[in-house]
Amino acid sequence: MASNATHYNNLTPAQPLDKATLNKMVLRSLNLQASFNYERMQAAGWLYCILPGLEKIHADNKEDLEISMGHNLEFFNTHPFLVTFVMGIILSLEQQKADIDTIRAVRVAAMGPLGGIGDAIFWFTLVPITAGITSNMAINGSIAGPILFLLIFNVVQFLCRFFLMYWSYNLGTKAIDILTANAKEFTRAASMLGVFVVGALTSNYGGTTVATVIENGDSPIVIQSILDGVLPKLIPLALTLGLFFLMKKKNWKPVSCIGLLLIIGLVGAFFGIFV
Amino acid sequence: MGFSALQIILVFVWVFIVAIDQFDLLESLYQPIVSGAVIGAILGDLPTGLIVGGTYQLMTIGNMPVGGAQPPNAVIGGVMATVFAISSGLDTTAAVGLAVPFALIGQYMVTFLFTAMSPVMSAADKMAEKGDTKGIVRLNYMAMGALGLLFAIVCTLGMLGGSAMGTTLSELSEKYAWVMAGLGAAGGMMRFVGFATLLRIMLSNEFWGIYFAGFALATIIGYIPELSGSALLLIAFVGIAVALYDYQTRVAMKQAAGAGFAANGGDDEDGI
Repeated sequence: MASNATHYNNLTPAQPLDKATLNKMVLRSLNLQASFNYERMQAAGWLYCILPGLEKIHADNKEDLEISMGHNLEFFNTHPFLVTFVMGIILSLEQQKADIDTIRAVRVAAMGPLGGIGDAIFWFTLVPITAGITSNMAINGSIAGPILFLLIFNVVQFLCRFFLMYWSYNLGTKAIDILTANAKEFTRAASMLGVFVVGALTSNYGGTTVATVIENGDSPIVIQSILDGVLPKLIPLALTLGLFFLMKKKNWKPVSCIGLLLIIGLVGAFFGIFV
Repeated sequence: MGFSALQIILVFVWVFIVAIDQFDLLESLYQPIVSGAVIGAILGDLPTGLIVGGTYQLMTIGNMPVGGAQPPNAVIGGVMATVFAISSGLDTTAAVGLAVPFALIGQYMVTFLFTAMSPVMSAADKMAEKGDTKGIVRLNYMAMGALGLLFAIVCTLGMLGGSAMGTTLSELSEKYAWVMAGLGAAGGMMRFVGFATLLRIMLSNEFWGIYFAGFALATIIGYIPELSGSALLLIAFVGIAVALYDYQTRVAMKQAAGAGFAANGGDDEDGI
C-alpha cells in the first residue's frame, strides 16, 4: 500500500525545479478549489496544482510518484490566495526527498494559520476598500469602476502568488540542511505540530450542532445547550474520533464513512435534528 | 423585453465562467461590480448594469443594507438582479428581491456539488495509486465544468421564465428544504472524515494528549469573537512552541547520548 510508505525509494535529491515549472504551478494555483468538496476540501485541487513539480521530481521512479500523489490527496485546506507559500515549502521537501511523515506534517502545520491571514488581507481589507471606492464610481455610471477593481485586485493577487512561491521554495531549500541533520527529531516535532493543528481544526472547522428542543412547559430543554455545558464542540470531537475508530480499527474506507454521514444528515434533517 | 438568441448564449457563457470564478480562475470576475457591468453590456444597457452591479457590490461588503434581503449567492444574485432590472425596468431593490430565489438555488447547487464531489475523492485515490496524472487533471476540470453548467442552466431558465420561474423555484425549495438541510448537515460533517484520515496516519499513541490540547485551545479561543480571524495563527504559535521544545530537547538528548557512546565505544542504535 502506497499510503503506508514512510520513505521514497529514490532518496537522491532531484534537480531543483526550474522557473518555468514553478511559474506553471503558480498559474495552476488559481484553480486550487476546482474540485472542492466537503470531505477533503481542496485536496485534489492541491494535487493538481503541484503535479507539474511532482512529475519532474519523481520522473525517474513511477512508484515514488504514486506514493507522492497518494499522500498529497489527504485533507487539505488553506487560503486560496496564499497557497503558493505551502506549495513552495512542500515542493522543496519533495525535491530533497524528505520523509513522507515530515512532508505531511509540514503541510498540515502550514495550511491552517494562513486562512486567517488571507481573510484579513483580502476579504476584510483589499476587497472592501477597492470595491467600496470603485462601486461608487460604477453607480455614477463610470465603466472605470469595474476595470479599476479588477486591475487592483489582480495585481495584488498575482504579486502575492508569485512572491510566496519563490520565497518559500528557497526558504525550504535552505532549511533542508538543518532538517536532515536531525531528521528523526524534526519529523517527530513536525508530526506533533500537525496533530496539534488537526485537534484545533476539529474544533475550529467543526460547526455541527443539533436543533432538537424538547418541550417542557415554560422552560424547553435545548439539547445543544446541555451538550455545550458538558463540552463545547462535543459533536465534532465525537464524530472525528468515531470516524477515526471506524477507519483504524474496522478498516472502513472514506467513501463508506461519507455514506454513513449522508444517511445521518438526511434522516436527522427529516426529523428536524439538523436545520 | 425579450432576449435575442445571441444575448442568451452570451449570458450562458458569462455565467459559466463566473460560476467557476467564484472559487477559481481570478476569483474577482464574479464580483457583482464586474459581472453586473458585463451582463448590462450584453443586454444592451451598460448604465443599468453598472448601477445594479455597484449597488449590489456595496450590499455584499456590508456598507449598504438594501431592502434587508441579501441573497446567499452573490454570483447568481448579481446576474439575475441585473437581468431583471434591465428586462423589467425595475429599480435595484426590487430587482434584487426578485433575484433572491435564484441566489438561494445557487447556494443549494454549491452545497449539492461539494457533497457529490466527496465520494469522487475515492476515484482520485485510485488514480493516485496508478500514478494517473492526467486523470487528476481531468477530474479537476470536470468538476469546474459541472459547477459552471449548473449555474449557467439556472440563469438561462431564469432569463426565459422570468420572475415566475423564481416563484416556482422558491416553492420547490421550501418543499424540499429538509433535503437541503440534510445535505448541508452531512456536508458539514464530511470534513471529519478528512481529519480522521489524517489522524489515522499521523496519530501515534503518544500524541493523543497533543491532539486534545489542540482541540481544547481552539475551543477556548473559539469563544472569543475578537480572535475569530487570528485563531489558527495563535494556535500555531503555541503548537510551534511545544514542537520546538520537543525538538530541541531530543536533539540535546541525542548529542549527550552520542558523547556518552563515544566515550564508552558503544553502538546502541535504538535511540531514545
